[in-house]
Amino acid sequence: MKVIYNTLFKRTSTYAVAIMASAFFFERAIDVSANMIFDTVNKGKLWKDIKGKYE
Amino acid sequence: MMKAVSCAYVRASAQALSNSLRATGVAVATRQAHSDLQVPDFTAYRRDSVKDTRRRNETAEERKAFSYLLVGAGAVGGVYAAKGMVNAFVGSMSASADVLAMAKIEIKLADIAEGKSVTFKWRGKPLFIRHRTPAEIETERGVPTSQLRDPETDDQRVVKPQWLVVIGVCTHLGCVPIANAGDFGGYYCPCHGSHYDASGRIRKGPAPLNLEVPTHEFPDETTLVVG
Repeated sequence: MKVIYNTLFKRTSTYAVAIMASAFFFERAIDVSANMIFDTVNKGKLWKDIKGKYE
Repeated sequence: MMKAVSCAYVRASAQALSNSLRATGVAVATRQAHSDLQVPDFTAYRRDSVKDTRRRNETAEERKAFSYLLVGAGAVGGVYAAKGMVNAFVGSMSASADVLAMAKIEIKLADIAEGKSVTFKWRGKPLFIRHRTPAEIETERGVPTSQLRDPETDDQRVVKPQWLVVIGVCTHLGCVPIANAGDFGGYYCPCHGSHYDASGRIRKGPAPLNLEVPTHEFPDETTLVVG
């Protein structure tokens, strides 16, 4: 905690950079997990699931 | 807090009173605030590491790190939401897929015989594709630009000399000209009698400009893409 505070949070510049950088990974994590939830909920109804029947 | 404010008010008015009394020569004892105002007890609000007020402040960075972490997490969420909104608004300005699909037309050139002019509909306007004969190409190339109302050489108007691609809207008042008619063997507008040559240039009549040439390209020998 002490190290994180002194390296990232103490200066506004590094704080902003840290927020932007983690927003990138946060977005990726949210998007991937949301897609995964959608796919599990709709399993069997999606085109990629029924594609084999029509090809 | 209210108590402190009202005390200050009482103190101020007492001061004013004592000043006025002092001016008249009457001695008054004034109450001093610092001796009887109690420091409030903030124990309930303090974190465990700072319950003891006499201890050295060694945990400040950790405590600040926790606070900034919470604020930072909120900011990360905010950045994510802001990015999504900006993306959506900027994306809404770009043309949609159906508009983009209608924006281009692909034409098979093998169907158009030499010397024929064919009309297509493109972006709601008539599009003339003319397969010119070598004689027509020669004639149009030989026209001196000094004679023209809207001076353009034939080479400026065509990509491949045997194919003329123009928008079939008369530049006078927007009628659709008739192909292979008029005094110059190109297009003739029946509304007010504008004569265009086989390069789509205005040669006679009221129209001020040549027929518009849309951007077009030939991806291979047999196809033409306009748009």
